[in-house]
Amino acid sequence: MTLAFRHREIPDSPLAKWDARWKLAAVLVAVCGVAAIDHLAPAAIALALGVALLAMARLPVKWIRYRLGLFALAALPFLLVLPFTLEGEGWNLGPVRISERGLVAGLAVFCRCLAIGCFALVLVGTAPLHHTLAAAHKLKVPGLLVQLTLLAYRYAFLLADEFRRQRTAMCTRGYRVRATQHSYRALGHATGAVFVRGAVRAENVATAMRCRGFDGTFHTLRTFRTTFSDMISFVALVVAITALVLWDRI
Amino acid sequence: MRNAECGMRNESTQGVPASGFRNPQSAIRISSLSHRYPDGRVALDDVSFAVEQGECVAIVGPNGAGKTTLFLRLCGVLNGTPGQVAVNGLDPAIADHRKKLPEVIGIVFQNPDDQLFSPTVAEDVAFGPLNMGATVEEAKTRVVEALQVVGMPDAAERVPFQLSGGEKRRAALAGVLAMRPSILLLDEPSMFLDPRGRRELVTTIRELSGTKLIATHDLDFVLDTCARVLVLDAGKLAAEGPAEKLLADTELMDKHGLEVPYRLRR
Repeated sequence: MTLAFRHREIPDSPLAKWDARWKLAAVLVAVCGVAAIDHLAPAAIALALGVALLAMARLPVKWIRYRLGLFALAALPFLLVLPFTLEGEGWNLGPVRISERGLVAGLAVFCRCLAIGCFALVLVGTAPLHHTLAAAHKLKVPGLLVQLTLLAYRYAFLLADEFRRQRTAMCTRGYRVRATQHSYRALGHATGAVFVRGAVRAENVATAMRCRGFDGTFHTLRTFRTTFSDMISFVALVVAITALVLWDRI
Repeated sequence: MRNAECGMRNESTQGVPASGFRNPQSAIRISSLSHRYPDGRVALDDVSFAVEQGECVAIVGPNGAGKTTLFLRLCGVLNGTPGQVAVNGLDPAIADHRKKLPEVIGIVFQNPDDQLFSPTVAEDVAFGPLNMGATVEEAKTRVVEALQVVGMPDAAERVPFQLSGGEKRRAALAGVLAMRPSILLLDEPSMFLDPRGRRELVTTIRELSGTKLIATHDLDFVLDTCARVLVLDAGKLAAEGPAEKLLADTELMDKHGLEVPYRLRR
């Protein structure tokens, strides 16, 4: 059975109840704002704000830890390289010089990246993907893009599942990944077969969609209703991020 | 509980005459239909037949006989020459007619995974009605009705990809029934189904009103659901007639790569 669209349970929280359109708009503003921050202190506060939102979302710690770890891994090179490459005052550790400016800049990038990760996880973790995408469509994101994202998400899992099954079938016939020409060629053929099958499937799906009257327009059963608290939450987050950006600029 | 009436429009409840072109109100009329793929392979060669309103007809034949190509021509997915096909008076080869076809003819594909692409069963079933311009409220009503017809009233919020093979098949059928077509095409409907899923599908299909055309290798399934059979082989219409008579013809079945169903063997 495919793993595609195996929905996670969304924990009950104020953020899960927040109208997905307002939440998406607020998170987008927050992410853009955080990306524009240069200094360490505002970046650290943005990170604290992101962590606070994650706590409010009541998401499982393990789920957050693994995903934030990926963001940390992406930002780690900056933290490791900048202190040794930027010039300025610092400390000498034997033959190696650590720059204070570089360390601060590295930490700022690290905090910014984690803060963005926190906001992204709040968005992804507090509503099913198809709700968020329906909200994006309501916010004038082109329907075709929304539909393509949904289909890509669904069929990426399906193809991965097919590849896994194909690999199992290969293993039952004695295939093992080895550093040999035969092994690489077999892996190449298997990957190619999955892509060809993916193309055939894409054609079949397109045919099935056309037969049900699809003309490129995205429709959903999902309806949205704005409440006063949705707007207040949006304004609060936008004001907080704007204040951080202004502080950073001053 | 099932309610077959809400699934398909029944254009007519008249009797089931033999095929031919005597009745201009036939649900499907095919005249000298041929189809050649770009690689030169001839999938259909001078096929002619008619299916009357309310009739349930099986199209049987070996692999590569042209069954799926025929269905794709009926739905307008494959282009052809005007004048060869008429579906409730609409010609799939004419662009303006083709746009109206999804409301008239529904197709359930061989592999339900190709048809179930939405995040929930409800969204998937509502896909067609929303494309047809139904309001969200109307679409929701149709979802409830269609799921009721296929015996899955509680499946609306389930994830399609986590359904069993039989449930997937029925969810795909619900997605088509929600569009209230008067003609239903089923491509290998019993494939991948266990005996229980197959039994449930037979019951569902028998309860559906409207015109049905079923392409299959499963001749027992044909005996359970269809009164008339068309034998297609190598793109040509090889035989047609009452299901019990035709499927019991050992020589005919052997000649076209089929087998007499177990219950008709003497």
